[in-house]
Amino acid sequence: MNRRRTPSKPKVISQTRKKKVYDNYSSGRYIFVAVAMGLIAIVLIARLAFIQVIEPEYLSNQADKRSLRITESIAHRGNIEDRNGEELAVSVPAYAIWVDPKQVKKHFAFTRQEWKDSIVVNPKTGVERYTKKYFYESKKWPALAEVLDVNIDNIAAMIQKPNSRFAYLKRQVNDPIVKYIKQLKLPGIASQLESHRFYPTGEINANILGLTDLDAQGIEGIEKSYNKFLQGQSGERRVRKDRLGNVIDNIAVVKEKKLAGNLQLTIDQRIQAVAYSELKRAVKINNASSGSIVVIDIHNGEIYAMANYPSFNPNDRNQYQAYKLRNRAITDTFEPGSTVKPLVVASALINHKTNPDEIVDTNPGWMHVGGRRVRDGHNYGKISLAKILKKSSNVGVSKLALRLKPDQLQQTFADFGLGNDTGIGLIGESAGRLPIRHRWSDFELATMSFGYGITATTLQLAKAYSILGSGGMEYPISIIKSATPAVGRQVIPKHIALEVVGMMEGVTEVGGTARKAKVDGYRIAGKTGTSRKAVAGGYGDDYVAVFAGIAPATRPRFAIAVMINEPQGDRYYAGDVAAPVFAAVMKSSLLLSHVLPDDRDQSYTYLEAK
Amino acid sequence: MVSTQAQKSIFYRLHIDPYLLLGLFALMSISLTVLYSVAGYEMIYRQVTRLAIALTVMLVIAQIPPEWYRRWAPGIFIACVLLLIAVLVIGHTGKGAQRWLDLGFTKFQPSEIMKLIMPLMVAYYVSQYTLPTRFKQAVIALLIVIVPTLLIAKQPDLGTSILVASSGLFVLFLSGISWLYIGIALASILAFVPILWFFLMLDYQRGRVLTLLNPEADPLGAGYHIIQSKIAIGSGGFWGKGWLHGTQSQLEFLPERHTDFIFSVYSEEFGFIGVLLLLTIYILIIGRGLWIANQAQDAFTKLIAGSIILTFFVYVLVNIGMVSGLLPVVGVPLPIVSFGGTSIVTLLAGFGILMSIHTHKRFNIKR
Repeated sequence: MNRRRTPSKPKVISQTRKKKVYDNYSSGRYIFVAVAMGLIAIVLIARLAFIQVIEPEYLSNQADKRSLRITESIAHRGNIEDRNGEELAVSVPAYAIWVDPKQVKKHFAFTRQEWKDSIVVNPKTGVERYTKKYFYESKKWPALAEVLDVNIDNIAAMIQKPNSRFAYLKRQVNDPIVKYIKQLKLPGIASQLESHRFYPTGEINANILGLTDLDAQGIEGIEKSYNKFLQGQSGERRVRKDRLGNVIDNIAVVKEKKLAGNLQLTIDQRIQAVAYSELKRAVKINNASSGSIVVIDIHNGEIYAMANYPSFNPNDRNQYQAYKLRNRAITDTFEPGSTVKPLVVASALINHKTNPDEIVDTNPGWMHVGGRRVRDGHNYGKISLAKILKKSSNVGVSKLALRLKPDQLQQTFADFGLGNDTGIGLIGESAGRLPIRHRWSDFELATMSFGYGITATTLQLAKAYSILGSGGMEYPISIIKSATPAVGRQVIPKHIALEVVGMMEGVTEVGGTARKAKVDGYRIAGKTGTSRKAVAGGYGDDYVAVFAGIAPATRPRFAIAVMINEPQGDRYYAGDVAAPVFAAVMKSSLLLSHVLPDDRDQSYTYLEAK
Repeated sequence: MVSTQAQKSIFYRLHIDPYLLLGLFALMSISLTVLYSVAGYEMIYRQVTRLAIALTVMLVIAQIPPEWYRRWAPGIFIACVLLLIAVLVIGHTGKGAQRWLDLGFTKFQPSEIMKLIMPLMVAYYVSQYTLPTRFKQAVIALLIVIVPTLLIAKQPDLGTSILVASSGLFVLFLSGISWLYIGIALASILAFVPILWFFLMLDYQRGRVLTLLNPEADPLGAGYHIIQSKIAIGSGGFWGKGWLHGTQSQLEFLPERHTDFIFSVYSEEFGFIGVLLLLTIYILIIGRGLWIANQAQDAFTKLIAGSIILTFFVYVLVNIGMVSGLLPVVGVPLPIVSFGGTSIVTLLAGFGILMSIHTHKRFNIKR
C-alpha cells in the first residue's frame, strides 16, 4: 500500500492482511453511507411529494391569498355643463393622504422614555443605536403638517390612537403636494386616488348646482337630485399584486366600470353670469338681505338663468354655510304683491266680468271693503284696465276681484301655477301657498287681488308670467336639457293672455311704476310688486320688492322674475330696486339670444289676438 | 475495474471525469434557467463568469496529483486557521456576521477554504496510522476538527461551522472509527445540547431552531421565510406553474430567491417533476462520487473522496430540508444551483480533487 509511515508499533502482520482489515470495515462504512444516503433521499422526496402532490391545493390557496387582491377603479363623477356645453362642474383627480399609525409607531417614539427604550446594543461592537426616532425632533413631520395645513398635534394624536390602522390626514390634496409628501419618505404615510369636484363658475351657479361631499356624493342641489346619474359605477378588478403592492397581472373584471354621464343644463352661463352679478349688485346697493332672479324661455319652459344672493364659493369649503347654500328662487316664498294684478285682470276677462275696453272708476282713490279700507297712492279717477296695471291701482283691481267668485279667482291663480310645484324636479322646491277655502270675506278677496294672503316662489312667479307671454300655454319648467321638446298645455285662452301682456306694457312707459325696467329697442311688458313682509300678528316695516316681466312684448321670448328681499335703503319700491335688475338681465338675454328688436312695430299683440 | 482503454481516453489524459462533468453541467443549466426567472440576464451574466472561474479552478486542481495534497495539507491547514483568526480580528462584517476578509481586490471567506482543507488534513493525519483509527488518533483528529470549527462558529456562522466540522468528522467516520466511540460522541453531543442552547447560542440562532419547531407560530417574523418557501414549493404542484410563472417567487414574496431559496423558485415553476429531475441528477453525481471513492487506490484518497461526496450530499440535504421545512434555516446554498461565487468555487474545487483522485491512478488493482 501507498502508506508513508508504517505504524510506530512494528507488528508482524502481512500487507495483505492489513489491507483486508481496512477493506472490510471501509466497505462496511461506505455501504452504510450509501444506504443512509438512499434512505435520506427517499425521505426528502417523500417530503416534497407531500408538499407538492398531496398538499398543494392548500398551499396554492395560500399563495393566492398572498397575491390576489381586488382593486377598485374610480369612475369619475360626470360633469355638469350649460346649454352651450360650458363646464359648470367638473371632476378632477385628487388624493387623500392617510396614515397607518401602526407603521409610524414602529419607527417613531412619542415619549422620551419610549425613545430611550428603543436603544439596542450591538452585541459585537457594543455600539448603542436608537431603533426609533423621536417624533417631535423629526423635521419631516412638521414639514408634512405644514404642507397639509394640519396641526402637528392633531397628527400626533391620530397616530397615538391605540389599535388604529387607518386615519385620513387630509383629503382632496392635489398632485404636487402628494409628490412632495412622497419625497419625505415617512413610514406609514400613503395616498389614495379620489376625485375632486371643481366648479369653474364658482358662486354664480353654486345655489343650483349644490355640492358633493368628500366621497363624491351629491349633498345639495342638482348634485343631489341627479346623484345617481352623475355618479357612474366604479369598476372592480381582481389582480395579482407583488409584496410591495404593485399590480402585476389583471386576472378578471369583477364589476364593470360604468362611466358617468355628463349632465347638460338649460342654463345659459352667459345670461346666468349677468343675472348673478346684477342681482348681487342690487342686493348690495339696496342693503337687502337676499335676492333671487329667474329667466325662463317662454316657448318651452327652459330656465336660462336662476341666480340667488347670498351665494358662496363651492370651491372653498370654509364658506360652507347653510343659509348661503339655499336655492332661494325655488325654496323661499313671499307674498307676490301687485305682480298678481295682471292675473286678476286675466281672471276677470276669462269669467266675462269685464271687457278690455272697460273704464273703471277708482274715485276717490280709496274704498271700503267689509269695513276695512283699500287705498291707492293717488286718486287716479276713471282709468282703463291697462292704466290700472300701469298705476298699480289697488282700488281698481279690487273692484274687478269683487265681481268674481273666490273660487274663480283661485282657479285662475292655480292655472297660472300658483300653489303648485313647477315641475323643475329639484330637491327642496316649495309650492307656495294658495289657500283653498269656501268662505272668503270681501276684504280677503280684495287683498288677495293685490297679492296678499298667498305666497309664491320667484320661480313660480316667473312661470306665471311665462304662461301669460306664451299665450296661455303652460310648459313644465325644466333645468335639465331634454332632447324631446316640451309639450305645452293651454291653460288660459290665448287672446286673453296676449291682451293682458299688451296692457302691461304701460308699466315701463312714462307715468308707469317701473320706467327703469325699460330696455332700449324692445317693448317690455311687466309689473312691479312691493309688498310688506308679514310678521307675527300683522305686517312689519320690511318690504319685498318684486318685478316680473315679459319681452319682447309683441313676440314674447323671455319671462323674468326678480325678487329683492328686505331692501333697507331710502328707496324700497320695486320700480327702483328690482326693475333695474330686470332691465339689465332682460337686455342681455335678448341680445345674447339674437331676439329682434320690436319697438318700431306698432301693431299690438292683443289687437292681433282680437 | 479500470480498463486500459479508459486510461488512455482523452478525458483520462486531461484528468477529467466526463460523467461528473456532465452532471455538473446539467446542474449549471438548471441554475441559469432559474436565475433568469428570478433576476434576468444581469445575474446570469455574473453567474456565468463565476462558473467559468470555478470550472477553471476545478480543472487546475484536477491536474494536481493526490500526492501533492498529502504533502501540502498541513501547511495549508495551518495557514487557513491563521486566516480564520485574522477574520475575527480585522474581518469585514456582512449581514450581522464577520465572515469576509477584504483582500483589496476581492473579499473572500477563509471558512470556505476550510471546508475543503479540513477533510484533507484529517485524512492526512489518520492515514499515517493503521486503520481503523484508534482512540488516541481519534482524539487528536477531533482536536484538528474542533479548533477551526470554533473559530468559524465565533464569526458567527453556525451553518458553515457545522459543515466544516462534519466534513472532518466524515473522514473520521469513514476511517473506521469504532461504533462505540461514535455512540459515546453522539451521547456527549446530546448532553452538550442544553449547554449549547443556554450559553453558547445567540438569540437569532435560537430563533431559527424555534422557528423550525413551529414556523406557523410567528408567520410574519421568524417563520416568514419557511412559510413562504413551503407555499412556493407546494403551489407548484405536480407539473409546476411553468418557467417565469411562479407567483410566490416572481412577486417577491420569497426571500433570498437567487441563493438559499432557489430550490423553492425551481419547485414552484417546474413542479414535482422538475424536483425529481433535479434530485436524480444529484443522486447520479453522488453515486459517481461514491464509485470514485470506492475505486481509490489508497486510504488517504479514499477517505478524501468519501468525505467530499458526503459533504456534497449534506449540502443538498440541508438546503432542501431547510426550504421544505424539515430542517432549520441555516443559510446553506443549494450546491451548484444557487447563485454565489465562493461556495461554487469551493464545491468545484472539491470535484477537481475527486477527478484528480480518479485520473491519477498509477496502476490497476485487482480486487
